[in-house]
Formats: sequence, structure tokens, C-alpha cells
Amino acid sequence: MLELIADPSFAASIPRFVTPILLAALGGALCERAGVFNIALEGFLLVGAFAAVLGAYFSGTPYIGALAAVAAGMALGLIFAEFNLRRGGDSIVVSIAINLLAAGLTTFFLRAIFDVTGAFSDPAIAGFAPVRLPLIEDIPWLGPILSGQSPLFYLALACVPFLHIFLARHRLGLRIRAAGENPQALRAGGVSPRRVQLLALVACGALCGLGGAQLSIANVNLFVENMSAGRGWIAVVAVLLTRGRPWPLFFIALLFGAVDSLSFRVQGLGLAQQFTDMMPYLATLIVLVALSWWRAKRTKGDAS
Amino acid sequence: MQVALNNVTVRFGPVTAVDNVSLGIAPGEIHALVGENGAGKSTLMNALFGLVSLASGSISVDGAPCRWTLPQEAIARGLGMVHQHFMLQEHMTVLENIVLCAEPLGRFGFVDFARARARLDEIARTHGVKVDHDRLVGRLSVGERQAVEILKVLYREAELLILDEPTAVLTPQEKDRLFATLRSFRAAGKAIVLITHKLDEVMEIADRVSVMRAGHLVASSSLEDTSKEEIARGIVGGELPAPRTRRVQEPGAVVLAVDEIVVARRGRDVGPLSFQLRAGEIVGIAGVSGNGQSELVRALTGLAPAVSGSIALCGKDIVAFDVEARRRQGMSYIPEDRQRMGLALGASVSENAGAGHDDRNAFAAGPFLKHGAMADFARSLIERYRIRVAGPRAAAATMSGGNKQKLVVGRELSRNSPLVIAENPTWGVDIGAIDFIHGELMRMRDEGHAILLVSTELDEVIALSDRILVMYDGAIAGDVSGGEASRDRVGALMTSKSADALGKVA
Repeated sequence: MLELIADPSFAASIPRFVTPILLAALGGALCERAGVFNIALEGFLLVGAFAAVLGAYFSGTPYIGALAAVAAGMALGLIFAEFNLRRGGDSIVVSIAINLLAAGLTTFFLRAIFDVTGAFSDPAIAGFAPVRLPLIEDIPWLGPILSGQSPLFYLALACVPFLHIFLARHRLGLRIRAAGENPQALRAGGVSPRRVQLLALVACGALCGLGGAQLSIANVNLFVENMSAGRGWIAVVAVLLTRGRPWPLFFIALLFGAVDSLSFRVQGLGLAQQFTDMMPYLATLIVLVALSWWRAKRTKGDAS
Repeated sequence: MQVALNNVTVRFGPVTAVDNVSLGIAPGEIHALVGENGAGKSTLMNALFGLVSLASGSISVDGAPCRWTLPQEAIARGLGMVHQHFMLQEHMTVLENIVLCAEPLGRFGFVDFARARARLDEIARTHGVKVDHDRLVGRLSVGERQAVEILKVLYREAELLILDEPTAVLTPQEKDRLFATLRSFRAAGKAIVLITHKLDEVMEIADRVSVMRAGHLVASSSLEDTSKEEIARGIVGGELPAPRTRRVQEPGAVVLAVDEIVVARRGRDVGPLSFQLRAGEIVGIAGVSGNGQSELVRALTGLAPAVSGSIALCGKDIVAFDVEARRRQGMSYIPEDRQRMGLALGASVSENAGAGHDDRNAFAAGPFLKHGAMADFARSLIERYRIRVAGPRAAAATMSGGNKQKLVVGRELSRNSPLVIAENPTWGVDIGAIDFIHGELMRMRDEGHAILLVSTELDEVIALSDRILVMYDGAIAGDVSGGEASRDRVGALMTSKSADALGKVA
């Protein structure tokens, strides 16, 4: 086990697992801060993954694939906004509907467009090539983690500080926080909280779309039914644990990504797949318990 | 800025909330707008602000007619409103709250905070209003929060300021500071509308006063041409209730004995607190909200556990009792928040009236409720307390705030418990209802009940209490007997627990 963790190829694989979780969680963070309870990240990721394959297959370039994923994610964000914000549907019900819709729709289009069931793999699907960073790749141990990843990984990394500054200092960031905290006060100031929430949902869709693209045209070059495999849910947990703050979110996503990657690895050791599949969720539970224990301790410390 | 409302009428469905009101607001003038709750003051101001639409009539600013439908148009035209319930983001800093929705922009839509700071420094120089820019609003006192609201309005360069009940939450000292600020605005030529219930304040600061009743403007005159009595008559639409005479009586046996109780609170615990409450006496708990009063009440009623100490009700230690057991032991509770704690808004008036009585045979047959008996009881409350509602079957939510409060007060007092805990019992209700509730509390006292009156309304505490305990920073800062209580003395205790502060004003 220790050997495995020290293995540089394990370390190098972590970013591939972190990226989709991190992108989806950052999108979810925008919703959380804007006061939209969006637990449809799983569906957003899945649709993004499918749209990325679609775009990459027909255009022959992964960038168009990523753009298609962004567009599909934004469209889902608009659907969420239509039913939740405008028609007043309960956000949990809307989220569940979108998650089910995403699973059904991708399966349906897989058959309708590519005429296959289960999975679609074709050499014409243009995936992202790894980006090599000249000097950095020579750093021992850290080099293979930082270099040779998909462009989406670097984008996700850049999004963390950007989102932090955006929420702190940008006009829309300020309004997103206000919409989440006291929408009444925002309305009294003459800004529609719903419009702000709509923008947050659309941006969330875009980020999730990119997360999906990482799954289908960067990690592999294929689409498999339900290939998001719970990563959207892990992102939801990350968002709720960190209350949508970008930096803590980054570290939680790092942890979940690493465990996800580890669970993939230990399958090779002959452990039962049922057990290895459990690992990310087990890690989630452990973090939940540890965090609540730590918070309880801290509030007690405050009181004395 | 000269603002004129001409023949303004506002309707909500079949109800005419504001009926053909014409009002002029002049620059360099403090214009008080008074009237009972539901008289239409707030609706009139909301109409001026574009928050509700006019059924007829018009609004003009400096002679030019305005027909805005969104508050931001009114804001852009130089109108500013300080709402009674603050419109602030508690998790944001003062600076962020002030610029929100009027952000000075730098590059790429990022907020230019440096420019905002410079403007605020300028405002601090001209008007003397200043709050530390980088503190979180959630950590500010109520007075400081109000200053943030005023800064928001000033930051938007408002020429007309509307303040809705600005002094309701302030200590006397904070109120003086606010009035000094308002005088500075008047000197700077700004127009100010002050919505208030308190006639003393009108007499102290206003230049003009307009009185509304039932949607009509019944009087509008300059302050010299009227008197406090005349304004009060205009508000209630008839003669005033006679001032209450207080019956002097010796208090009886100890009903509630609180000994060294400590209640947990975020940050710092409240207590240890010790006091006694006797039959036939009203003990007032005064203090600026947030100084431990609500923690004390929660510990007494059993809504929160006490960390240590003992509470004896009618000679029995009730610390280990839950809420229901305490109520059975002889406690009634009029909660501050009638919307969430006092009533179940979706349930009927009859169900709400019976709540808390449902263990008695009168309202229950085994596990089943006697709806007929509950409705009869509700009808008796409606009659006795003059509650304006369609009937016992109407949902509690359909009543106005004052009527909701009367229902809660009626239900709790009719339980005839030895101890009544009343927490801000007249918060947000109109003069008529206040008078009635005060009368009921006095009656209960005279009949030998012990009443704990927890109120942030200093005048109310002084008027009703036989003894006043002032809470400051989680402790009892002073114990003043009703006879020697004055606004200044209690007000000083409310802001500082040091005895020398008391010495200075006494």
C-alpha cells in the first residue's frame, strides 16, 4: 500500500481525478454562495461528458468538444433556473429531475446518434493531449503531477484563486454573496436576486461542463453510460462541507480526488471492486465526522 | 429637493391602503409622519419609492412628474430609505454592504474599493457618520448597523431620506446621536421624512408633522401650529385613553426565584443571574437587545438548558423540567416572535387559541380534540380582546400583526398562571393595542400574578414595572425600583455596567 502511494505514476494520476470533482465543486460553490441549492452537479457532469464527446467526435478537435460541454452545461443551468427560479419548483425536486434527465438523455442520444449501447469509443473522438511544462516536469516527484496534465486541469487550478478574488472583489461576486445571504436586502437595493442566481447557475453549468469534458475527452477518449459515477455527488459534499469557499474547496477536492485515484489503483491489488468503489464515500464520511468533531471542539473552546 | 405627492391612492385588491393623500416634502426640513400601524404611512412611502404602484395620483420631484416602477429609479433620482428592519448582509463587511448595488467599478467589473473608501471618508468629514469599514456587520451593535444604513443612503447621494421607525431599536444615547446626525442633514439642505410612533421625538426634532389614520391624511401642519395632544388625538381619531393610575400594593410570596443561573451563548456565557419575582409585581428587564435577555428567557421557559444554577417556580425547582412541565407548573409565555413562536400561522385561530390548553379536559376527550369547545374559547378571546379576524376558523396568518399579538396575549393570560413572562409584548403593534396589552398586564398584576416584562422599549418598562433590572453584557447591571426609574438613569445602565457611569447621570 505504501509502495503504491509512493509510486510516481500514482501521484501523476491524481490530477485526472481531482479535475472533474474540483470543476464541478467550484460551479456548485457559485450556486451555494448565491443561495441556490443545486445538487444536480452529477447530472451536469454527465451531460458535459457526453456533449464533449459529441463535439470532439464531429469537429475533430477537443477544444470544440470542451466548448460543446460548456454550452450543454449552461443549457442545463438555464433549465434549472427556469423550473426553480421562475416557476418556483423546489430545488431538490428540480435537482433530482435533472439528474434523472441527464442519465436518460445521454443514454438515449448515445443510441440515437452513435447507434451503440453502454459505451461509445471511436478513434475519431479527439482527446486533449497532455500539456508538458518544460522546466517543471524535471522536478522530482512534483514534476509528473504538475506537468503532463490536460489543459482543463490547469484551468481548474487557475479557477480557484480567480473565484476567490471574484467573490471577494467583483461586482457580480458581491451580489452573488448578497443573493445567498439576504436576497431581500439585495432587492431593496434595486438588484434582482433571481437574475444573480440565474447567472450563478449558468456559470455553474459551464464549469460542470468542463468537468465532464475532463472525464470523457481527457482522462479517456470515450463515453460510457453514467460515467460521472458519483463524482458530482462528491462535489456536492465538498461544496456543503466548505460552504462554497474556494480555497477550502480546493483542498477537499484534492483529498477526494486522491482517494478516488487510490481506489482505482488498489483494484489492481486484487481487492474486491465493491470495496474499492466504496473508498471515496468512506473518505467523505470520515471527513464529515472529523469536521463536525473539530467544529464542536472549536465552539466549545469559544464558549469557555 | 422638493417632493410632492398629489392625490395619491394605493389599493391592494379591494382594500384602499392610501386614500387620496397629498403631501409636500421640502428641503432642509424634518417631516414627521405619524399614525397607528396600518394607517398607511409605510405604504405611502413605499409608493413614493416605487415599491408599490399608484391606483391614481402622481408624484413629482422638483416640479417634474415621476413615474417610476423600480426602486433603483427612485434611488437614482436621489431618494433613500432606511428600513425599519435593516437590509444588511451580516456576513459582509461594512464597506461591502455600503457599496452593494451601487458599486464603483474598476477594470473588468471589479469593485474599486479604494474609491468607495475615499468617498466615505468625505462623508465622515461632512456629517460625522463613521463606522469602521472593515468590520463584519454581524458583529455591529444595532446603533452601528443603523449608521451603516444611513451611510448607504448618503453614499448614493440621496437628497431625500426616509427613516422608518429609526429609534425603535436604539438606546437613548444612540437616539441622541442619530438626531444630531439628522440635524446635520437638515442644515445641509436635505429633506428628511421620519416615520415614528413616538410623539416625544416628533416634538423634539420635527419641523412639520403629518398624521395619517386609516389611509387618510388627517392633519399636516408645522410643529408650532399644533400640540402633542392634538397630534395624539389625530392618530387615534378621538379622545385619548386616560392615563393609567397605578395601584400601590405590597408584593406577596415569591413566585419565581432565580439563583445563579448561567446560560450558554456563542462567545460568552450569560450570567450568573440571580433575582426574585413576587406575586403582584411586575419586574421589568430592560436592556439593549442582545445583552442576554433572550438567553435568560429561553432558560426560564425551558427552550434552552441552563449550564448551572437553579430556578424555582412556586417553590419547586424546575431546572430539570421541559417546556410543557414548566407550563403546567404555572408559567405562561408571550414570546417576542409571534410569527414563529407565538402562533402556527397556517393553523386556524381556534387551533391557536387552544394550543397549550390541549391537555385540559375542556378541550380534549382522550386523544381527540373538542373542536367545538376550542372554537367557543376562540370566540370568547376574539370578543374580549377585540381581535379583528373573520372568525375562529380563519387561518392565523390572515390577521394583522397587532391582532396576532392580541391572540397570543389572550391565550397566554387566560391560562391564569402564577407567572407570566412577556417578551417585548407590544413590539410592532399600534397605540390602541399597546394600551390594551398594557392594561391586561396591569390587571394581571393587580390580581396577584407575577409578571416578568422583558422589553427593549424603555418607556414601556418604566411605565409598567414595579422594579427594573437592567441587563448589560450578560449580567444584571442595575436594579432600580420603579419609583426612581428615569430614562437617563436606566439608559446609562443599558450602555455601561460601571457604577460610575450611573453616578454621572444620577
